[in-house]
Amino acid sequence: MSILKLLADSFMRILLPGLRVTIPLTLISFVLSLIIGTITALVQFANIRFLKTLARFYIWVIRGTPLLIQLFVVFYGLPNVGIVIDPLPAAIIVFSINEGAYSAETIRGALESIPKGQIEAGYCCGLNFLQVMWHIVLPQAFRVAFPSLANSLIAMVKNTSLAANITVMEMFMVTQQIVARTYQALALYLELAFIYLMISTILTKLQTYLEGRFNERGIQR
Amino acid sequence: MIEVKGIRKRFGNLEVLKGIDLKINKGDVVAILGPSGSGKTTLLRCMNFLEKCDEGQMIFDDEEFAMASVSNKKIHEIRNKTAFVFQSFNLFANKTALENVTLGLKVAKKINKAEADEIGKKMLDKVGLEDKYNAYPSQLSGGQQQRVAIARALAGNPEIIYFDEPTSALDPELIGEVLRVIKELADEQMTMLVVTHEMNFARHISNRVVFMENGSILENCETDKFFNNRTNERIRSFIANIMQKGE
Repeated sequence: MSILKLLADSFMRILLPGLRVTIPLTLISFVLSLIIGTITALVQFANIRFLKTLARFYIWVIRGTPLLIQLFVVFYGLPNVGIVIDPLPAAIIVFSINEGAYSAETIRGALESIPKGQIEAGYCCGLNFLQVMWHIVLPQAFRVAFPSLANSLIAMVKNTSLAANITVMEMFMVTQQIVARTYQALALYLELAFIYLMISTILTKLQTYLEGRFNERGIQR
Repeated sequence: MIEVKGIRKRFGNLEVLKGIDLKINKGDVVAILGPSGSGKTTLLRCMNFLEKCDEGQMIFDDEEFAMASVSNKKIHEIRNKTAFVFQSFNLFANKTALENVTLGLKVAKKINKAEADEIGKKMLDKVGLEDKYNAYPSQLSGGQQQRVAIARALAGNPEIIYFDEPTSALDPELIGEVLRVIKELADEQMTMLVVTHEMNFARHISNRVVFMENGSILENCETDKFFNNRTNERIRSFIANIMQKGE
């Protein structure tokens, strides 16, 4: 069967850019989005007026516009004003800024779920705002936010396929090229879908495992 | 040691504190009594700047300043010399008992881990929790949690400890263990300001009683004198009323 052979041959050719591009792109963007999201959530939580307005504006714009268009603006749009960014960095910038806006809201909700009394107790122990956040509130908030953040990570893996539109050589792009040569669209796209499914499954298992670990540590209230 | 003058605080249209004057000397154990809503807790919170009062002067270690316009640096400095025990314990849920006690030492006072742990263990031993160093708050009873909170308060070697109804959230059979610890501190001449509803506690442990009602101090006198009050009808009925409830 030539299709079986094609699938077997193409499997590694699709998986390799997955390992080299899709997964690093996802992980780097996700870590950056967590940093952006945490800072955006903290300035709102701390009620710093100007920064809070800025944070709300950022979340409003990013959540209100399509990811694909954000990719196009940065990659195809910015060169018009003299800013040229390579495909992969452009994708990382857009994915982290985009996901940052969503995780900011997840993290803000988690921060607000931590009892205010613990924050006051932290102040009474002589800690300042950032110390209270770092040692007391964020570790607990992270645990609260973890399931939704893991959800976002899984969504992000799949969203990276949009980066094919700005010429990033990730799995979807590579598959498209193979399809263009072989015309086996159904088989190859199903194979690609299967690879995404495998990655998502691994991440889901990892999520379950980590949540179990948190519970062992007995930090639930 | 610490004195406040003319503390006023309003929440919207409600004036909760209507000019409070209070002086606490070193070694004093002052009980603040009074009906619910009289402003006891708010007074305590204002004194540690968990609430910012609208008016009032504070004299702390011979330095006088306006409480409404106090700098964050000054607040920080005062909090490093005071401690606060909450009604609802407020232990850090992600930290063990020992870490709860040592966090302030390590992070705010920059004491190294070994030394902080030593102090922390000593404080937990003192409140009778020598076998609970590594327990998380969720694994402790209310009484044990409150004793960890007291150990946490003691760890910073404060000049005064504020207690905000330390036994009100506890099951009746757990109140005793917490009161015993506070009594030990009183015996060691620890300066304490205690908002409480425990009449027996106030009677036997405090040396002074402050009676508050509607945001004002109605009486501020020695404990014996307060409980033998024959003149003030309001205070007599308050005491009689509480005693009648069988505490």
